Amino acid sequence: MAVLEVRALSHSYGAKTQLQVRAVNNVSLRVEAGELLGVIGHTGSGKSTLIQHFNGLLTPSAGEVLLDGENIFKDKQTTHAARFRVGLCFQYPEYQLFEETVYKDIAFGPRNMKLADDEIDRRVRKAAQFVGLPDALLNKSPFDLSGGEKRRAAIAGVMAMEPEILVLDEPTAGLDPKGRDTILNLVENYRKETGSTVILVSHSMEDIARLATKALVMNRGEAALFGTVDEVFSQGEKLVSMGLDVPAVTRIFLSLHARGVPVRTDVYTTEQATAEYLRLLGKGARV
Amino acid sequence: MDTIIQLKNVSFAYETEEEEKTLAVKNVDLEVRRGEFLAVVGHNGSGKSTLAKLFNAIHLPTEGQVLVEGMDTADEANVYDVRRRVGMVFQNPDNQIVATIVEDDVAFGPENLGVPAAEIRERVDDALRAVGMYEYRLYEPHKLSGGQKQRVAVAGIIAMRTDCVIFDESTAMIDPKGRREVLETVRKLNRELGITVIFITHFMEEAALADRVVVMDGGSVAAEGTPAEVFADTALLRRTGLELPPAAQLAAALRENGVALDGDTLTPETCADALFRAAQKAGVV
Repeated sequence: MAVLEVRALSHSYGAKTQLQVRAVNNVSLRVEAGELLGVIGHTGSGKSTLIQHFNGLLTPSAGEVLLDGENIFKDKQTTHAARFRVGLCFQYPEYQLFEETVYKDIAFGPRNMKLADDEIDRRVRKAAQFVGLPDALLNKSPFDLSGGEKRRAAIAGVMAMEPEILVLDEPTAGLDPKGRDTILNLVENYRKETGSTVILVSHSMEDIARLATKALVMNRGEAALFGTVDEVFSQGEKLVSMGLDVPAVTRIFLSLHARGVPVRTDVYTTEQATAEYLRLLGKGARV
Repeated sequence: MDTIIQLKNVSFAYETEEEEKTLAVKNVDLEVRRGEFLAVVGHNGSGKSTLAKLFNAIHLPTEGQVLVEGMDTADEANVYDVRRRVGMVFQNPDNQIVATIVEDDVAFGPENLGVPAAEIRERVDDALRAVGMYEYRLYEPHKLSGGQKQRVAVAGIIAMRTDCVIFDESTAMIDPKGRREVLETVRKLNRELGITVIFITHFMEEAALADRVVVMDGGSVAAEGTPAEVFADTALLRRTGLELPPAAQLAAALRENGVALDGDTLTPETCADALFRAAQKAGVV
């Protein structure tokens, strides 16, 4: 059964006013347990509005959100429980660090869940370990950490709630290549080790191509494409027509194809592109 | 080509409470040439942002000398002239817009310089046209996208008729479409108006478009050269925690598999050209 199901969800800001804007329009999707769903789309495409329904922060204008088959908006208690079952980590989460110590900051979520002290302690240490923050840093002020460490501390704060679904909105924004790889690797390890479902919002098609099992492309509030990464990324031309940034290798192969070179255009990783080009030359890939 | 900014053996240390000074920039010698598009890359903490702030007297060197058009930035009497010649666009588009209407924001700089009103009008219009934001001149800045806000910030700088603009990771916080808009604007200003550009970035595909790339590591200049030279040095990239631009990664993988590719393969366009030529040579097109 799908761990998360969204049925015909719509959301309007400023409803019943002149300024009504439909940010999300009739979106449906299903995510199975343990999957990594990548969400792609322009700024203003409705991505952030959509994900804020997953833990009940926003209430849909129409449609339903089901966790394990249960509508989270059916009553107040269920909505409240959804806050802990779906952990939402916003963009630039390091701006939301506020406690005196890193430890207290990571413990904030579990404490709100009214867990026992020893359970809170276990979770804080486990989450800190997951994101690679050594014990020595836990008693420091979060403001004394480096940018990358702050980001990881903030993510640990959400992981410490041990949500069934971890939603990360642009977790690598503004990081250098090394910092980006660190975050993506820890997300992937977290998913593999805990079996949790992860939803990753990203502008980087390369990152989604590398990690995701399923992909959702949002365009003007609608789910323009939804399916396996292969299904979505093989539609390079459609993605380009929506003004999205397809991976560089996809652009290269679209350009070759347009010039009459008989290559497939559904390539989106360096490995696939290498294999496809070697096939063209009749060489057979060594990779 | 003459020099617009010269760094002579520059070191910089942030003042810390513990009084132990760690050098964020160490013994840097660097010349920025007039009219060039210079990219500065390096991982977080490599000193590239500190370096950027030394170019226009936001930071003053702890040791050594920074000369802007021959003026020493450490001399307080020069700061006004230095800032007028070298402007900076910051990382966060929401932190640098001061007015409530786009054209007022662009006018802020020239007003502070005491430019006569009629000329301000002309400069603001010119600057907004140059960045492609003229139709938005009466908009409220908060209604613009990240890329549009950054272009307004650029207009605010060129309205001061600066010779050089520093971009301190100005594309880090905006989406790919906004990044493309900003980058295209920057390249146009560089080519058409001859404005010197210092572009600090994490995105290797952006650095690949520069005339010259400086790689910072541990506060020092680890390498400098054309993008082709810098990205040919894989050991350097590994050592400094950087990577090849995506198109170049594909070219490298193909070369490893014995495919002969000639010419530049750093951008998707040039890489596609090289693959096309190689396919023609192999007789498969």
